[in-house]
Amino acid sequence: MIPRPDGGNRPAWSRKQRGNPVRLFRILALGASTLVLASACAAGGSATPAATAAAASAQPSQAASAAASPAVQSAPPSTAASAAASAATNTIAGQLAFGGPPECPQRPFCLIGLQKVYGLTFKSFVPLDAGGPLTVAALETGKVQVGLLFTSDPSIQVDGFVLLNDDRHLQASDNIAPVIRTAVLQAHPDIATLLNQISAKLTQAQLTSLNKQVTVDKSDPKDVARAWLQQNGFVPTGGSNKGTIVVGSTNFSEQLVLAELYSQQLEANGYTVTRKFNLGSREVVQPAIQSGQIDLYPEYLASLTEYLDNGAGLATTDPAKTSAVLAGLLKPKGESVLAYAPATDENGFVVTKATAQQYGLVNVSDLAKPAP
Amino acid sequence: MELAAHVLAWLTDPAHWQGADGIPVRIVQHVEASGVSVLAAAVIALPIGLAVGHSGRGGFVIGSVANLGRALPSFALLLMLIPVAVNLRLDFSTWPILGAMVLLAIPPMITNAHAGMREVDRDLVEAARGMGMSGAQVLLRLELPLALPVILTGMRLAAVQVVATYTLGAVAGGGGLGRYIYDGFARQDTPRMLAGAGLVALLAIATDVAFEVVARITAPHGLGAGERPGGTESVGRLIQESGV
Repeated sequence: MIPRPDGGNRPAWSRKQRGNPVRLFRILALGASTLVLASACAAGGSATPAATAAAASAQPSQAASAAASPAVQSAPPSTAASAAASAATNTIAGQLAFGGPPECPQRPFCLIGLQKVYGLTFKSFVPLDAGGPLTVAALETGKVQVGLLFTSDPSIQVDGFVLLNDDRHLQASDNIAPVIRTAVLQAHPDIATLLNQISAKLTQAQLTSLNKQVTVDKSDPKDVARAWLQQNGFVPTGGSNKGTIVVGSTNFSEQLVLAELYSQQLEANGYTVTRKFNLGSREVVQPAIQSGQIDLYPEYLASLTEYLDNGAGLATTDPAKTSAVLAGLLKPKGESVLAYAPATDENGFVVTKATAQQYGLVNVSDLAKPAP
Repeated sequence: MELAAHVLAWLTDPAHWQGADGIPVRIVQHVEASGVSVLAAAVIALPIGLAVGHSGRGGFVIGSVANLGRALPSFALLLMLIPVAVNLRLDFSTWPILGAMVLLAIPPMITNAHAGMREVDRDLVEAARGMGMSGAQVLLRLELPLALPVILTGMRLAAVQVVATYTLGAVAGGGGLGRYIYDGFARQDTPRMLAGAGLVALLAIATDVAFEVVARITAPHGLGAGERPGGTESVGRLIQESGV
């Protein structure tokens, strides 16, 4: 068949098929507009993101970023949040976004404590990580103005953040101490002596220095731990074939160095150590030790206490008392806590230098002052 | 059973259906970001797949690249793209996950677009050329309509994967239904976590069904549902219809 110039007798299939790609585009367009409508409905009061989303077909990227920014601003957990909202916007905190770990809204040393003890309600809460690179990046890029970092975090100094003074003592004593399975401790009582020697020498300055070597100088935690043990006069006492100990850790670098310190000290004194590091958060490590998958790991007195008592507030600012309370909570779980170090790793609330200067911030309580 | 009741209670709690962390907002965020990712990936993948399929050259390269792309873990991509976004001063809760999702969606679309084009019966293409159709006419009037079901299957695979995987965005502080899963884990709130996972699964199924509907509506005339394009039966029908 020869195509004819008039097109009047074109093959039937070519006519019938022609509509299909067009129809597909129509359907896609319909889908896109439905999407825009749906987002407009959900956005409700704030019409701006929805309006930006209307440009989705032309500039999908803009729509996504506009839609995602309210996404991360989950409301504070308190039911009084909306009632307090009008009053809160008049405070400095009410103008600032707060970034912290996703569990922060439900933790007594985090948003709950900031609300109860300091009366702070922030403009928004951005769920990030537990004092990790996301929080640092969010502070640096201005995504949040106040962030939760740990007091032993070297990036506070390196990045020039201002650690706000906890002037109303929200943070309880989060001194570092090894937690061990009681059965293992009873079988190998000398482990307590070996690890207590480490805790005795671990000061705040020492801990921050260990952290800096790993996170800033990028040294291997193994080498950092070995050097520290040598410098602090730890000498192998010999002995061999004392058995195998499984040392665990959660997934941030301080835990790796601490777990390395414990591991190398045990290895230097006749134990074989299996390392199960980077296991994740406490929610992973606690079940692991309770079920006997690990034998010991580094912990923090107050945080573990509050984890075990479901935020009942049993931890205090006194490490000796908190340690005793913790021992009582650990006992039924078949765990024991060894001697704690002077070094702490507590929640610290930091702002950038620029924010501190703009609002004149020194203490955490300054955030509750009226906004300028 | 008790857990199921907790999950149900969580889902039916009116407080979880309103506000910036409410289910409707999270679903819209999820659909929106997934839709943008799939559309962006389609803009990149389909022209390449169609061009290579139409020309018949470079199929091996396409296959290799797509397979390599499939092997890339989205989680690693997400984490690797975060510092990039920070350096470019882009919102690291939005862009890295979108980048990872676009890269996740490209391989299935590219391979299916290519395969769909190659499965079109060569005799039909020859016949169309013999009748004097230009390359563009062959592509738009013959190959594309016949390959459409396979292309749509690729988009469907990509969309379902993206909807399920976009949950990772919560790790970088992003929105969507992944928030419930990640926050539920962080807060030891198992009902929240399971409700989030269930909602994602439902959304993935809904996506699958939506593409099935689109596929039925756009199925080329002369092709029964589920019939392979370019098969002898369809050729016969096409020939009958064209009156050759």
